[in-house]
Amino acid sequence: RLSSRRRRHREPAAEGCPAGDGGSMCCQQVSVLYFARSAELAGLRSETLSVPRQITALQLWEEIVKVHPRLAVIRDQVVFAVRQEYVLLGDQLLVLQPGDEVAIIPPISGG
Amino acid sequence: MDESEDVPKDFIKLKSEKLSVDEVSELVISPCCGAVSLFIGEFNISELDLWVCCCSSSLPSVVPITEASVIIAVSSPHRAESLEAVMYCINTLKASVPIWKKEIYEDEYSWKENKECFWANSEK
Repeated sequence: RLSSRRRRHREPAAEGCPAGDGGSMCCQQVSVLYFARSAELAGLRSETLSVPRQITALQLWEEIVKVHPRLAVIRDQVVFAVRQEYVLLGDQLLVLQPGDEVAIIPPISGG
Repeated sequence: MDESEDVPKDFIKLKSEKLSVDEVSELVISPCCGAVSLFIGEFNISELDLWVCCCSSSLPSVVPITEASVIIAVSSPHRAESLEAVMYCINTLKASVPIWKKEIYEDEYSWKENKECFWANSEK
């Protein structure tokens, strides 16, 4: 269930990232990194995606799954790492800076 | 040995070549520390995927059967502290460090999951 985004009265009610807006609807380019099983499902190790600057972790996951639908099967088994901190796929609001790295972290098995 | 022997130092090294217990032990030996505690983790044929700090690069390597995958060494003046520190290091590594192990069999493979990992599925 997506939380509804606040809309300014001048903003078009469209999905995606409107250009020229300095507010929370503005998009950022972030690097998404895929590891282990998520790299196999996505078919790549990393890419740059354009996502809203303020977005919940769950919304970010859903944006990524739009690009790579095969990732949906691991949704209950992954967390994000954002700026090297683990984040559950929930309602936590992420404020993303240009060039931030977001990594998809399947269950770890080191040691 | 350098002059700053009394200053505690941390060494963290990742490599794709074979690990050496001697080399790791020598890193922590110090005249002030009478005890050196070691942990060696070994496993089956595997591929490793890991994430180092901000690098997106991985260090894929195939680790043969019974070769060490991790060595932890800690020195301390008396044994209790270093033994406890080694246990803390391996437990924390297993619970939080972004390293993934894929065990490869003849016709299939399987990504392993540490039970210490809080976001792993508990049902297996």
